[in-house]
Amino acid sequence: MTVTTDLRMRPAPRLPRLRGVNLTGLLLPALLLALWQTATSLEWVPPVFLPSPAATAEASWTMLTRQNLHLDFLASISIVAQAFVYGSVAAVALGVAAGLSKRVEQFFGPTFDTIRHIPGIAWLPLIVLWLGIGAPAKVVVIAKSVFFPVFLNTLEGIRNAEKRHIELAEVLTLTRWQLIRRVLVPSAIPSIMVSLRYSAGLAWALVVVAEGLSGLEGIGFLIFRAQGLLLTDQLVVCMVIIGAVGFAIDRGMYLLQRHILRWKQGFEG
Amino acid sequence: MSNRGTLDIRNVAKTYEVEGRQVNALSGVNLHVAPGEFISIVGPSGCGKSTLLRLIIGLDTGYQGDILLDGHRITGTSLDRGIVFQDHRLLPWLTLEQNVALALENSRLSGAERKSTVTDHIELVGLSGFESAWPHQLSGGMAQRAAIARGLVGRPGILLLDEPLGALDALTRLRLQEELVRIWKAEGVTMILVTHDVDEAIYLSDRVVVMNSTPGRIVDEIAVDLPRPRDRAGAEFSAIKRRVLSLMGEYAEAA
Ligand SMILES: Nc1ncnc2c1ncn2[C@@H]1O[C@H](COP(=O)(O)OP(=O)(O)OP(=O)(O)O)[C@@H](O)[C@H]1O
Ligand SMILES: [Mg+2]
Repeated sequence: MTVTTDLRMRPAPRLPRLRGVNLTGLLLPALLLALWQTATSLEWVPPVFLPSPAATAEASWTMLTRQNLHLDFLASISIVAQAFVYGSVAAVALGVAAGLSKRVEQFFGPTFDTIRHIPGIAWLPLIVLWLGIGAPAKVVVIAKSVFFPVFLNTLEGIRNAEKRHIELAEVLTLTRWQLIRRVLVPSAIPSIMVSLRYSAGLAWALVVVAEGLSGLEGIGFLIFRAQGLLLTDQLVVCMVIIGAVGFAIDRGMYLLQRHILRWKQGFEG
Repeated sequence: MSNRGTLDIRNVAKTYEVEGRQVNALSGVNLHVAPGEFISIVGPSGCGKSTLLRLIIGLDTGYQGDILLDGHRITGTSLDRGIVFQDHRLLPWLTLEQNVALALENSRLSGAERKSTVTDHIELVGLSGFESAWPHQLSGGMAQRAAIARGLVGRPGILLLDEPLGALDALTRLRLQEELVRIWKAEGVTMILVTHDVDEAIYLSDRVVVMNSTPGRIVDEIAVDLPRPRDRAGAEFSAIKRRVLSLMGEYAEAA
């Protein structure tokens, strides 16, 4: 934006910046990697329980080329994507409706509060009986876990709209629909975005658990199978993938949040 | 030209309840405003100026007495009545241009007309080049000018202005005063301006209404029968200023 200059104080010179990426965040991972390497090469832990970084890299290559790791990965990601989209779309729609009307809120309130307190994973056994061990049961369960944080934050966000802004809408004779679209929903966007970011991470963590509990594919399935077969190197590969993808999802959501909330000025540390 | 109407404020009283106590924000307020008149309201902080504007705009109908527009009680807001709030009240998630255009959301203008009148009004308040800036990127004075553009863009017949020039530097202030006079003359809008600047009130208006607090009430009205453009340094101007200030109880301090 050309309008204002960036008034944030220049950070004290710390680590060199690599094409705009601050290297501070890479320091700890590098240390951990070095520690891992040391632990395995000095055999502090037997290789069967902790494979070396090189062995892990090799295992990932094997899994990718011979065991179709990417297909399992796609299976997991597709469940997460579907669950996230269904869960959050339903949550925003119902959250707006409940935020607008006390009656809608009262209608859903008791039911939702009860369902919400039964963890998604506790629903899985029953849903699997209905839908089988395939993807649909997991999509349903994870969508449920995505739904509630987004629903509650949407409701709260709508209720937090400022009176001043609603008065302005009244002065400009906005219709109810225009009020919702131009004032109430935008007021709720900051809290909706926070819950979407949180839910996206949650969905990814849950798919691992759900796949471990039922089904025959996906990263979660692989990790538990690797444990059973004592393929520790494969197990670690799965863990690294889970961590990296979780990180990527969170970063992606953060960037999306920053873009959507670019009208908002906040504390940037 | 949209409907200007005759505004008749009859014996209006408004009380707020603050922590169980009754606050008389307005009491026994009578004011008659003819179509196309330019009225200024001056008075100390907390004397009910903003409250009175809220009642006229139709945001608050819980008061005693009557506020009549052409004989009909005001029941709600209308595009015929515009207001520039004391706080700029731009929506933070809309750009300056979108904020101004929001006032035309329900106007009868076509898309192209809307665009050009929005552009004209942004230019009028000297904010060209900032069309796509977010409110948080504007200075206080710029935000206030944007709010003025939004107030004017729908060409209301009655325009209420709550200290619209308060945060502006002296030069911009003078320029926008001239613009207000020009728009008022060109479009025949009824203007009701709240200001803390007595010079501004006398320079712009046909009548200066002086209010005082506890309870909020109108103390007196002073007609300004001077030809425009007015000479702020003229003897008559100064005489009127002395009268207004003495009514405000500040003359002793000012002299
Ligand atoms: N929503 C409200 N609830 C309770 N009291 C209020 C409310 N709005 C205004 N008041 C009270 O009404 C009185 C008049 O307020 P108002 O905002 O009209 O003053 P004002 O003349 O516009 O002052 P200023 O020049 O500082 O803007 C004040 O005593 C204020 O405390
Ligand atoms: Mg005020």
